[in-house]
Amino acid sequence: MQSETRKQLLKLFTEAGGAFLSGQKISEQLGCSRTAVWKHIEDLRKEGFEVEAVRRLGYRLKQMPDKLNANEVQLGLKTKRFGWNVYDQESVPSTQQLAHQLAHEGAEEGTIVIAEEQTAGRGRLNRSWHSPKGTGIWMSLILRPSIPPQQAPQLTLLVAVAVAEAIQEVTNIVPDIKWPNDILVNGKKVAGILTELQADPDQVRAVIVGIGMNVNQKQFPNDIAPIATSLALETGRTFHRPKIVQTLLQKLEQLYGQYLQHGFLPIKLLWEGYAVTIGQQIVARTLNGAIRGVALGITDSGTLKVQTEDGAIHYIYSADIEIKKE
Amino acid sequence: MLKIQEIRELIRLVNESNIVEFVYEHDGSKIKMKKAGAAEQVVVATPKVDVPQTSVVQQQPPVTPVVEKVEVKEEAKPEKQVVATENLHTITSPMVGTFYAAPSPDAAPYVKVGDKVKKDTIVCIVEAMKLFNEIEAEVDGEIVEVLVKNGQLVEYGQPLFLVKPE
Repeated sequence: MQSETRKQLLKLFTEAGGAFLSGQKISEQLGCSRTAVWKHIEDLRKEGFEVEAVRRLGYRLKQMPDKLNANEVQLGLKTKRFGWNVYDQESVPSTQQLAHQLAHEGAEEGTIVIAEEQTAGRGRLNRSWHSPKGTGIWMSLILRPSIPPQQAPQLTLLVAVAVAEAIQEVTNIVPDIKWPNDILVNGKKVAGILTELQADPDQVRAVIVGIGMNVNQKQFPNDIAPIATSLALETGRTFHRPKIVQTLLQKLEQLYGQYLQHGFLPIKLLWEGYAVTIGQQIVARTLNGAIRGVALGITDSGTLKVQTEDGAIHYIYSADIEIKKE
Repeated sequence: MLKIQEIRELIRLVNESNIVEFVYEHDGSKIKMKKAGAAEQVVVATPKVDVPQTSVVQQQPPVTPVVEKVEVKEEAKPEKQVVATENLHTITSPMVGTFYAAPSPDAAPYVKVGDKVKKDTIVCIVEAMKLFNEIEAEVDGEIVEVLVKNGQLVEYGQPLFLVKPE
């Protein structure tokens, strides 16, 4: 966690947008002495920020370190609530684990946990998620919606839309969503979402949204190379991770606000815009066997509708979906 | 033939329930219980085997027994009716989804029959659309019965576990 003063300082630099800020102005805004301002600037420098100081002009932020931490996320962040309470870690077993603990302790909505590296990143059913140091975005977000638990699965589709929109805005690639919330580019997974619930029988206490996004990886281990990709591999460019986190938080906050106000329908329409599953021959694999058929669409609650050859309609709540190639 | 403890348990369960008469037949042996002063006749026909020991009473209603003069409403929710009268706590599913007894396919289940649980002990996961809901026991007690199988699709409000509160 970081101090209020630090947050305000970053907000000031954000507003200045690369222009000089006088020491006098900063000290007035932060309500501290000019010596204290100088100390805060020194702290930023120690963390890898390049701050230019010019007599009579003041301070200007020239370059930010390629680090994913609270400073970086908040410098330029345009959200109201999401991402203003940040737990940044160099290395954690999993950001989900830490976020769960924080949620239990009462962390506010919009709190995020980010880490440069996960040593035990995980996905569905404790499958591991490859999360090497400094290459991707490993993040968990705490939400506290006033909805009954049976509605909560809709949030996983909402998060998928937010991730897809953020990727599209930053890279110009239009990703696909495979039901319910795998994010694919050219058929390979670029981001995964794992959502967990803390709930009483009739009320959600907290939703912990875990997002793993492959950003600057240049290669993957052999076993996942055929199914995984990164934004860098798909575009030939590297990306500033904090910028993606900011865009993502902004999309999440916006869609979440829409959802709380207008319900799932607007989210459903956006989701369908990215959906690659619909109209395709698919195999839905569950613990109790596989269902083969055509994916007709999703219901108003986000459930996948599949029609088998005999004409019967099946409603799929959980499964691994494989899209059959023509 | 049932063991004497099992019969004793049966008597206790029938006594605590509002079942008036109870018949159990298996391999040629037959147990018949009838409460004194019973005005209504309730006959419960037991289907063949696979009825595990002490859970006989709880298991019978769902396997379409012949029930006479019982209100339709009660028949629709047999488990709940029996459970309520037995003072057992039912852990129900808060949403439609897949029931997972263990955190991963090759891990041991969160709980099994006979396990002591605390209020906040995680007893299973219900998942829908990759949203994982860790279900807590809600009461301190002992798991008496697991009512669903790993991987099964469960409905909203469907009973998952019976817990004997402490």
